Amino acid sequence: MMLKRFLRSRGMRKLRRNRMAMVASAVIGLYALVALFALFGGVSLDDTKRRVWRENTPGFLQPMSKEIADYTLDWHADKWLRPKMEAARRASDERSRQFSFDTAALGQRTLADLPGDELIALWDEAAGIYDEWRELQDTADEANEELEFFRIDLDAERAKDAPDQDMIEELEGEIEYYEGQLEQAARAPELAADLRAKLLELHPVPTGVPGMVYRAKLWFGTDSKGASIIIKGLYATKIAFQIGFVTAVGAVLIGTLLGAAAGFFGRFVDEAVMWIVSTLSSIPYLVLLAVLVVMFRGSIFDNEARPALALVPLYAAFGMTFWVGTCRVIRGEVMKIKELEYVQAATAIGFARPYIVLRHVVPNTVHLMFINFSLLFIAAIKGEVILSFLGLGVKGQPSWGIMIAHSKDQVSSGFFWEILTATALMFGLVLAFNILSDALQDAFDPKHVS
Amino acid sequence: MALLEVRDLHKRFPKHGGVLNRVVGNVHAVNGVSFDVNEGEVVGIVGESGCGKSTLGKTVIQLLGATEGSIKFDDQELTSLSHAEMMPFRRKMQMIFQDPYSSLNPRLTVRQLLREAIRFHKVVGADQVEAHIDSIIEKVGLRPDSKDKFPHEFSGGQRQRIGIARALCLKPKFLVADEPVSALDVSIQAAVLNLMMDLKDEFGLTMMFISHDLKVVEHFCDRVLVMYLGHVVEELTCDNLHADARHPYTTALLGANPIDDPTQRRSLTILKGDVPSPYNPPPGCPFTTRCPVVKDRCHQEMPPLEDKDATPGHRAACWEVEGAGVASSAAAGEG
Repeated sequence: MMLKRFLRSRGMRKLRRNRMAMVASAVIGLYALVALFALFGGVSLDDTKRRVWRENTPGFLQPMSKEIADYTLDWHADKWLRPKMEAARRASDERSRQFSFDTAALGQRTLADLPGDELIALWDEAAGIYDEWRELQDTADEANEELEFFRIDLDAERAKDAPDQDMIEELEGEIEYYEGQLEQAARAPELAADLRAKLLELHPVPTGVPGMVYRAKLWFGTDSKGASIIIKGLYATKIAFQIGFVTAVGAVLIGTLLGAAAGFFGRFVDEAVMWIVSTLSSIPYLVLLAVLVVMFRGSIFDNEARPALALVPLYAAFGMTFWVGTCRVIRGEVMKIKELEYVQAATAIGFARPYIVLRHVVPNTVHLMFINFSLLFIAAIKGEVILSFLGLGVKGQPSWGIMIAHSKDQVSSGFFWEILTATALMFGLVLAFNILSDALQDAFDPKHVS
Repeated sequence: MALLEVRDLHKRFPKHGGVLNRVVGNVHAVNGVSFDVNEGEVVGIVGESGCGKSTLGKTVIQLLGATEGSIKFDDQELTSLSHAEMMPFRRKMQMIFQDPYSSLNPRLTVRQLLREAIRFHKVVGADQVEAHIDSIIEKVGLRPDSKDKFPHEFSGGQRQRIGIARALCLKPKFLVADEPVSALDVSIQAAVLNLMMDLKDEFGLTMMFISHDLKVVEHFCDRVLVMYLGHVVEELTCDNLHADARHPYTTALLGANPIDDPTQRRSLTILKGDVPSPYNPPPGCPFTTRCPVVKDRCHQEMPPLEDKDATPGHRAACWEVEGAGVASSAAAGEG
């Protein structure tokens, strides 16, 4: 009933006509869906830490060069599978062998569904190809190197006034030998293709939904530990929404109640509230936040094993500082409203003053509550990112600030996917909220709403 | 017996200033006003903007606390009552406000607005609330389907009717109407005034009618109090307003009214200057700065409000009005 009436109200109709606002709302809705999906277990904290592929893999927009492809093959066969398969071969009982097979999984890519012996046999084939391929590559490298030197020597010998014919022949013989080696090494790409096929057999890409999930996890590449960046980004969206929502609701509630009390009752209530407000607002808020967060260190909230509790210091810090602006705005509005005749009419009827505040005054500041909610929401998200970047915010779980902080060392080496993802996700949400709060301001401006 | 007795009522608003926010002065909005309102009577309060009419009305029904003086309603002193003790009188005394646009909470429907008040005072039993709302809405001339509409869906005249409904749904005995029609179009004014007259008879109301429009007051009221800068300067019956008026301010007010007969010329006494600041009123009679018949004595002493002639219920506060005739030539000229 209340909601229906609210949706029919003049402000909402005006808001619905604003196309930008509707697009922004849709974007926010999308983020909210992602956040809810993550909140209800769609993306768990373990998912964000699970290795899905080689570390620092570029995302799909960046084409994979031959060097990177070869290096990836190297990593896949030698660095990832070999230790696990060797461990499985050495395993004394079935359970520890199965454990080795299980740990060889890469995100959704578990080992092929084959009996253990066949897996090991398959691995031996793959390892044979790998070793051969590796040897050929080494041979080719060596041959290339030697050829270069011999050719320089040969040219130098021929350029002499009196070339030593024996020397030239010897050098030519060497060059012929290494060119033969190089010809043999030309088989390397073939072997690489074979190896890739064998590894795919060992580590099949799942089909259907798990396959799509696997590929989606690689869209934005992996971080320095091989975990999926997009999964981290989605989880961080949940964290951002949690912090934004809890903080904004809390701050708007506190600010509205205190502001309404100060504006309506005046005198010492006003003095007391405004004293707190001006004291809090005279302290730079990031400094205050940092102090508050440091204050919580070592308490039960500073426990990485309980990620839900770990956010409480942030809620408290933002909640304590953010209500100030709302309080001041609401106080001014209430001072204006309390002089209006409908408040006097309510007094003439004889209603108690607290009832008048809650029934006749506060509901008429609801447009300010909406606008402040949207402003505080983004302020909290931005504050979280800044504090997390400084190492004072979220701990033990990914957040946009943590992602940016983690990737700051890798950006200089050309790996920019993590910072780009975190920034883009934050940018989208903050921009959408800014557009929405502007539209809210337009739609609910009391100058246009009678 | 008088329903309402006001004796020597003062209302001062303290003015704060300086670094320490101390009281540096007072705005004398109402300054020693005394009058009675008899049961069933309509008393008009006229005066120009800022003369304290509205403040007087709001102080009488205890929307503002009186600084000094006494207000007796039904023989009960109101100024000393607590919030709870005041409650039965809140129901008996209601107010109609000037601005129909700010006197209705934009977030409540008409039904919510009325139900809230009726339930609070238990005017009727819980099962009759809706019926009572229907009857009130019908009595103020609103369509039954307007119950679930919001104030912004109504015109100014309709809003004023809602304001009247809100006051009357408590079945009050005494009503303060604070310029109820001055914000409305002339055509709507007549309709709302006629409605108020009908309702006055139907509900047996006693009213204080605040206005700056003498025509409306003459039409609507039994008696009229003329206010100037917080003082009542003249009190007259409305039957013979033009002939009775003695005070130079009243005659100037009456003279400023257009007359609806082109063959007659009105005698204009145009007042010079502005109303003095109520923060720093002149000594003696407050009207001295603009009075056409001002004498030395006026600057020294405030004239008391007293009977000046044989006409019952006629009192004036002016040194120059001595019995019938003096300073009344201007007023007589219009009749």
